[in-house]
Amino acid sequence: MASHTPAVVMDNGTGYSKLGFAGNDSPSFVFPTAIATKSAGGGAGGSGSGRPAVANKPSFLTGGAGPGGHLSGKRGTEDLDFFIGDEALSAAGGPGYGIHYPIRHGQIDDWDLMERFWSNSIFKYLRVEPEDHHFLLTEPPLNPPENRENTAEIMFESFNCAGLYIAVQAVLALAASWTSSKVQDRSLTGTVIDSGAGVTHVIPVAEGYVIGSSIKSVPIAGRDITNFVQSLLRDRGEPDSSLQTAERIKEEYCYVSPDIVKEFSRFDRESDDRFKKHKVTYPNGKSVEVDVGYERFLAPEIFFNPEIYSSDFLTPLPTIVDTVIQTSPIDVRRGLYKNIVLSGGSTLYKDFGRRLQRDIRHLVDARIKASEAKSGGAKSGGLDVQVITHKRQRHGPWFGGSLLGQTPEFRSYCHTKAEYDEIGPSIVRRFALLGGPGST
Amino acid sequence: MPAYHSVFLEEPNQHLIGNFALLPLRTRTRGPALQLPALPSDITDLTIDASHESYDPLDEVISLFRANTFFRNFEIKGPADRVLIYGILFVSEVLSKIKPSMSKREAEKSVLNIALDTNFAIPGDAGFPLNQAFEAPADRQQAETLRQYIMQMRQELANRMLNRVYADGTGVPSKWWLSFTKRKFMGKAL
Repeated sequence: MASHTPAVVMDNGTGYSKLGFAGNDSPSFVFPTAIATKSAGGGAGGSGSGRPAVANKPSFLTGGAGPGGHLSGKRGTEDLDFFIGDEALSAAGGPGYGIHYPIRHGQIDDWDLMERFWSNSIFKYLRVEPEDHHFLLTEPPLNPPENRENTAEIMFESFNCAGLYIAVQAVLALAASWTSSKVQDRSLTGTVIDSGAGVTHVIPVAEGYVIGSSIKSVPIAGRDITNFVQSLLRDRGEPDSSLQTAERIKEEYCYVSPDIVKEFSRFDRESDDRFKKHKVTYPNGKSVEVDVGYERFLAPEIFFNPEIYSSDFLTPLPTIVDTVIQTSPIDVRRGLYKNIVLSGGSTLYKDFGRRLQRDIRHLVDARIKASEAKSGGAKSGGLDVQVITHKRQRHGPWFGGSLLGQTPEFRSYCHTKAEYDEIGPSIVRRFALLGGPGST
Repeated sequence: MPAYHSVFLEEPNQHLIGNFALLPLRTRTRGPALQLPALPSDITDLTIDASHESYDPLDEVISLFRANTFFRNFEIKGPADRVLIYGILFVSEVLSKIKPSMSKREAEKSVLNIALDTNFAIPGDAGFPLNQAFEAPADRQQAETLRQYIMQMRQELANRMLNRVYADGTGVPSKWWLSFTKRKFMGKAL
């Protein structure tokens, strides 16, 4: 029976978790990786923890007892009193619950909360029997093997899942780019630029393996763009300059320009076309109009000119990508330049890929020219720089997982419950490379 | 990609005072600057191209102002860049004189007030904010010429900026321009 069920693909990121089934083209659930628990509430404090239960429940449910109830407290059912995802955020808005983020900087920080998060993900949201499904989970690059073992312990011993595969997010993002028409050979070599809410990573991958020593991260990502839009709105004294408005403007109106001076004069000449108005409607029915102007192209510009936003980080993203590839082994550099793959919500701006490709190409061409001049007459064959923009960028790693999880050989790459029982958690330290050479 | 530099850096036969270039201007104000031909009727301030013969450093100042004010670091590559710096800082000053509530008439009054004031600091004076990067003129006569040239820049920039800021004809200053008043190019102000 288990042979017909689709694999479950779970991509738990710092900001959002993406859950769904292999073979689908988008995740079934996307919600914040947040969990709200009752006990030891983070911000709520001790005094708030018992009272609302009494206030919310009719007295016949608690038996008229005090905070927590005398029986349920002893049975430990408060363990089950928690919410995840968007429900957690709204529960934490009221009294009694504290919000926690079990994943920090991409790695699982609190295993107990993560186990509860997974259990709700599986039973309440996906509604599957873990015994019947293989699971594909993701991990950040440079995840310690101990974390994999902990994950396997939870997945096999608590949930008794049929099989488990843990893949590196960057590798899955490469697999997701196979949907682009620009990709001819489905290789797992390339540079992944993964930009989410908090941080942007540039990760070189050679034949499915991450080159850990060359990874670089850039402290500029979605949240910074939102903040920058907000500061521009405030400079102008717009009627609404809240973070939410800034975020909406960022998502709806921003694009990457080829050159900011030219773009400014374009705004002067075609002002009717370029300036937009954004309508903000409040819950009470009132609404205001916010003008949208230069932030349309200035906001994403902070990737290419960080100086306009921050005073302590000044290296443009194209230069970082170039450095990452130059510090990788020489025999894979050509492949890394040829296949630069975008992933994550902050890479979705129009013409982001085109500008990145142009800037990297300038750097590469300048270097080739310099070394040609030094060599005295030798001609270089040139270097192909290609940035791949594709339709699955937003949930790149999840989609890559969905793609690989539906292949017929996926199950043979998983470790099964039986293997785990025989060898123990250390079995998950190694996985055969899914989608690598040798597989179809 | 760092801040934008002047296209006049490569201009031949620059007339220098100290290390400040006295480039030809397209202006009818009186002073030592060589005059460039007026704009032909089919080209305006907004559409002029950098390769046009009438394109002057002040056109450049206004077009680079908005981009360059975001930068705190600027590497001076030559005398023409100093003209650009001075111009950008003066545009900031002009914008700071215009209040959102001012009509064009009122703004003209307060802006021309600073543009026509002959009592301003030139490179070498104690009150000049960028003396590390600008050389003082060699003698009093040169100082006087430099002062007159900068005076021309100030008047012409003030006029062009007033036209830009009140371009839409509603009598209200453009909020898009005024939003740049708080930013300081290179962290300096005149």
